[in-house]
Amino acid sequence: MDKGRKPDSRDEELLLKELRQILLREDRDALEQLQEILDNKEQLTPRISPIIKEQIDLLKSNFPDEYRQEVREITKEQLLDSQEDILNLLYPAMGKMIKRYIAHQFQILKDSIDDRVKNTFSSQGILGKIKASLFGINSSDIILSDIDSPIIEEIFVVQRDSGLLMGQASIRSTIDQDVVAGMLTAIKAFVEDAFQKGTEELELIEYDTHAIFTQSFHSYYIAVAMKGSLSSGERDKLSTSLYDFAEKELKHRAKEIDETNFNYISSKLEEYFITTQLNKERTAV
Amino acid sequence: MISKKVILTGSFGVGKTSLFNQFIYSRFSDKYLTTIGVKVNKKTIEVNGREISLLVWDIAGEVSQDKVPTSYFLGASGIIYVFDLTRPSTYKNLEEDINYLKDMVKGGIIKVVGNKEDLVTEEQLEEVKKEISMPWDITTSAKTGKNVESLFQQLGAELLD
Ligand SMILES: Nc1nc2c(ncn2[C@@H]2O[C@H](COP(=O)(O)OP(=O)(O)O)[C@@H](O)[C@H]2O)c(=O)[nH]1
Ligand SMILES: [Mg+2]
Repeated sequence: MDKGRKPDSRDEELLLKELRQILLREDRDALEQLQEILDNKEQLTPRISPIIKEQIDLLKSNFPDEYRQEVREITKEQLLDSQEDILNLLYPAMGKMIKRYIAHQFQILKDSIDDRVKNTFSSQGILGKIKASLFGINSSDIILSDIDSPIIEEIFVVQRDSGLLMGQASIRSTIDQDVVAGMLTAIKAFVEDAFQKGTEELELIEYDTHAIFTQSFHSYYIAVAMKGSLSSGERDKLSTSLYDFAEKELKHRAKEIDETNFNYISSKLEEYFITTQLNKERTAV
Repeated sequence: MISKKVILTGSFGVGKTSLFNQFIYSRFSDKYLTTIGVKVNKKTIEVNGREISLLVWDIAGEVSQDKVPTSYFLGASGIIYVFDLTRPSTYKNLEEDINYLKDMVKGGIIKVVGNKEDLVTEEQLEEVKKEISMPWDITTSAKTGKNVESLFQQLGAELLD
């Protein structure tokens, strides 16, 4: 889907409204509620059926060929009957949706502030615009420019409960990543037990010039060990690419740790996060 | 290769850390044990021609098992419970502890280990057997290394079953 698209259609407006209601409550509440809905077929069916029906009607009247394969995929996915699978399928998509919603809300907020600033100090507003267009970039990009953006050194996919490694990639060959994954899981569990209650999760560990960012999914989490610090913009970008990665590559591989899955996940991690980075560095120098 | 999570637990000072230190390559220093109460070690063994990786979570000694954070037990396939043959306080709640642990890792494999065999005589060992209402699985010495390898072998074989 196009990232920059404004959520202007009716469906999306409705979805956003639902999402807003969920988000306005405490995080924990929302998660519990989602969990309950997902756990409970009676609750899930009436919520999903109208949406599915609407989509089917829409599809019937307007069904481009290139979606046929997509639909086949979706149908296959729906055949997966275990709840674990469904949660693993939904988690990345839901996370992305919520993120997009929040970004949208911030945009609205920013727009309204911009408007006010423009109206109050119109000359400064114009000045700012001229400056930005002189350099051919907009002002928010200037703020977010990443002069010393962090380098990903190691990336792990870790089974959430056991701490067992599901796949890994790193810029140099290091040893015993599965011990590191276990320790990381222990540290996460320790911090979450000691300082937080409920559904809050540890996201960032910082030490010296290094940081470990973790992004949790239903039955696994992804940990990224980096050199350099992470600005909130970079953090957001990284988080989005982890959601994308999970959605594309981990959907059907999160259930069981075996050699095939391990090698697949590891090679994809390498491809997505390590190789591209090395290329970028090479072209930058 | 198959990997399994194994929890190593039991009272303080029974020899959990010693039991494995000489056998497992360790990337982390033992200071983690005091700061976060757990240290993860890895041991790869071969059982009947198949390799298995044990990720062993060494838990800092607790007097009672219900003080161990429950999240440490999540996703574990096995538990090694160690007591000290020379200290009755480390096995007086054995049955209670084992029942609690069985509940924590439903369907998991539990190995009960009597350690510090080098410090007790045959007669003392018989006394301990009388004192404890349930039989334990294996008697070891971290000092002499006796039965340590075979403890892993047994556990590995059962985990692969
Ligand atoms: N004689 C003897 N001493 C042992 C044995 N195992 C551990 N110890 C000693 O008992 C003490 C506690 O051991 P440690 O491994 O730290 O116990 P943990 O708290 O269960 O990890 C140390 O001083 C060890 O040297 C054993 O099999 N025989
Ligand atoms: Mg110890």
